Amino acid sequence: MPDLLESTDPSRGDRALEGPLVRAPLSLVNGARIANKSESLEAKDSAAAELGPKTGPPVLFFDRVSRWYGPVIGVNGVTLELRSGITGLVGHNGSGKSTLMRLAAGHLRPDLGAVLVEGRQAWTAEAKRHVGYCPELDTYYEEMSGRRFIQCMARLSGFSRAEARSRGDEVLELVGMADRAQRPLAGYSKGMRQRIKLAQALIHDPKLLLLDEPLSGIDPIGRRESIQLFHKLAGRGKCLLISSHELEELEKLTDHVAIMAAGRIAAVGPLTQIRDLLDDHPLSIRVASDQNKVLATALLDCDDVVGLDRLPDDALLVRARNPRRFFQRLTELVISEHLEISHLESLDESTHDVLGYLLGGKS
Amino acid sequence: MTVQLLHYRAWQGAFRRPSWGVWPIARVALGSLLRRRLFWLLYAASLFLFLMFFFGGYLLDWAVTQVSQAPIKVGNVTLDTERLVRSMRQTLQVLSGNQDTFAYFFNFQGTMVMIVLALTGAVLVGNDFTFRSLPFYLSKPINRWHYILGKCLAVAVVVNLLTTLPALGLYMQHGMDEWEYFTNVAYFEESGMGRGPASWVLLLGVLGFGTILTVFLSVTLVAAASWMRRTMPLVMVWCAVFLFLHMVAVILVDGLRYNVHWRLLGLWNNLCLLGYACLGFDHETIWPAPQPSFLAAGITLGGVMLLCLTYLNQRTRAVEIVR
Repeated sequence: MPDLLESTDPSRGDRALEGPLVRAPLSLVNGARIANKSESLEAKDSAAAELGPKTGPPVLFFDRVSRWYGPVIGVNGVTLELRSGITGLVGHNGSGKSTLMRLAAGHLRPDLGAVLVEGRQAWTAEAKRHVGYCPELDTYYEEMSGRRFIQCMARLSGFSRAEARSRGDEVLELVGMADRAQRPLAGYSKGMRQRIKLAQALIHDPKLLLLDEPLSGIDPIGRRESIQLFHKLAGRGKCLLISSHELEELEKLTDHVAIMAAGRIAAVGPLTQIRDLLDDHPLSIRVASDQNKVLATALLDCDDVVGLDRLPDDALLVRARNPRRFFQRLTELVISEHLEISHLESLDESTHDVLGYLLGGKS
Repeated sequence: MTVQLLHYRAWQGAFRRPSWGVWPIARVALGSLLRRRLFWLLYAASLFLFLMFFFGGYLLDWAVTQVSQAPIKVGNVTLDTERLVRSMRQTLQVLSGNQDTFAYFFNFQGTMVMIVLALTGAVLVGNDFTFRSLPFYLSKPINRWHYILGKCLAVAVVVNLLTTLPALGLYMQHGMDEWEYFTNVAYFEESGMGRGPASWVLLLGVLGFGTILTVFLSVTLVAAASWMRRTMPLVMVWCAVFLFLHMVAVILVDGLRYNVHWRLLGLWNNLCLLGYACLGFDHETIWPAPQPSFLAAGITLGGVMLLCLTYLNQRTRAVEIVR
C-alpha cells in the first residue's frame, strides 16, 4: 500500500505509473464477483465493451503537473493519461480531485508541468472546445429558464443563434429536460439542475467530459438513466472523467479509477488490477461448495492462500494473495476434485475497500 | 425509459470565434437587469430630464411667440418685449442645442447614470461572483477578457441608453427644427443663438462625450462590482470614488487654494473635462476655474482604468483561491 502511494513520485521509477497508467481492457473481471453483484458486473462489462480505441494521442494528458495554492500544494507531480472510456476519480476531501478537474477544465494553470487536451494546453480556447465541464456547484441566473441557459451556453460555445436553439433542444431531450426547460432555474430541484448542467456540458459535443459529482441529488430512475447515458457517450468514444463520493454508483459506471491522495495519483487503472497490487491486503473470498472439507484441504496447499476460516454457515473464508493466480488454481481444483461451487463472493474488492486499504482505512 | 442518443448529433460544423461569445455574456447580464422594476423606475426618472431638454426648446419658442405678439403691461408700465425675449434666450441658451446644451445634458444625466450603475452593478456583474457562476462561463471556449468585455458591453449599453442615445435624440430634434443645424458648422455663430460648433462637429462631440463616459464607467463598474459584489457595499464604494473624492478636490482647490492638479481627484470632473474637450469647449471657459489640462485629466482616467483592468485580470478566474 505505501508502495503505491509513494510510487507516484516522478523522481522514482514507479509501479503504479508504469502499470495501469495507460488504460487497459477490463478483461480481468474475475469470477469472484458472481454473487449479488450481477447488476454491477453487467454495467462493467458494458463499460468494458465501450472503452474504445486504446491507441492514438490521449484525450487528456497530465505531464508531471504540480499546482500550489500559496504554501499549500493542490496536486503534486501528477502524470495521468486518459483516452476514451469512463474513469472514476476518487479520493478524500482535499486530496486534489477538484484541482485536478479544474486543471483539466482549463480553470487553473499548472505551476509545473503541462495539461494537454487533445494535444493543446488546457486553458486555451482551442482545448476548451473539446471539454465539457459539469461543475459541482449549480448556481446561475435563477430567473433564467433552463432553455435560455442552455442556449446561452451554446452561444458561448460558438454556435450561431439558430444552431444554439436546435442544439439546445437536442441536449435537453437527451437529458430528459425538454418538457421542463421553460421553467426558471430557481424552481428546479437538485436533480433537474444536475441534468441541466450535464446538458450544458454536452452542448458542443466535447471529446472530454469532466463531471464533478454528476449523480448527487438525482433520484434512482434519473441515476439509472444518467449511468446509461454515460455508458452510451463512452461508447461513442468520448472520454469521461467522473469525480464522485458515491462509490457504489461509481462502480456501476466504471471499473477504471484514478485514486487521489495528498495531491498525488495513488493509483490508476482497472480496480481489479489495483486490488491485485495491494500485497499487504490479501483478498477475502467467501466460498462454499458441496464438499467444503475437501476444498479447504486443497486450498491450504495452495501457495497464494494465506488464511482460511470456517464461517458459521459452513462456508469458507479464504484470504489469498495474487487473486488472479488464486482463481486460476481454484478453477483447476473445482475441475479436478469434481466440486460443485454453491457460493463464490469477493468480500473486499469494491472501490470502497480498495480506497480503504490504499488510503489508510479512511474511505 | 432508455436513454436515446439518436437525436444527439455529433457536431461536424465549424464553431465561431471566441469573440462571438462577448454578446451572449452581455445579453444575459442585460436580460437579468431588464427584468428588474427598479431599473425601469430609474430609467423613467432619467427620461424626465431628457423630456425637459426636449420640450424646453419648444417651450422657449412658444414663450417668445407669446411675448412678441402682444405688449406686456405690469400696472401702467409696458415692458420692453424685445429685451425680455433677448433675456429669456440668454437665460435659456442651454436649450438651444449647442455645446452648452449637451454639456449640461451629459452632466445632469450623468448623475442619474451614476445612481443607476451603483444600484444595478450587482445585478450586471456582482452576481457572477456572489453565486460563483463564473466556472460556467470560463469552461466555454472563451478567455477571461471575453468575459470582461461582455460585462463591459452590458454596462456600456446601460450607459448609452441613459446618455448618448437621448443626446442623439436631442441632436436630431434640433436638426429637424432647423435643417441648417445639420449642415452648417458655424450655425450658432451666424444666427447669434449661442456658441460652439454645430453640424457633424457637434455630432462627433456628442459621440465622443458618450464614448468617454461609456468606456470609463464600464471598466470601473465591472471592477468595482466584481470587488464588492453586493449592492450596498458597491453603492458605498461608488459614492466614495465619485462623490467623496470630488468633494475633497473641491475643498482642496476652491476652498484651500491648493494646486489645481488636486482637482484630478474628482473622477467625474475629469470625465466632464474630456467630454467638454470633445464638444469643443475652450479650456479657459470651463467652470469652475481653474481646471487641470485636458491631458492631465486623460492621463488620470487612463491610469485608473489601467488599475481596474489589472485588478480584473487577477479577479476574473473560475477558481476562487482563498489564501
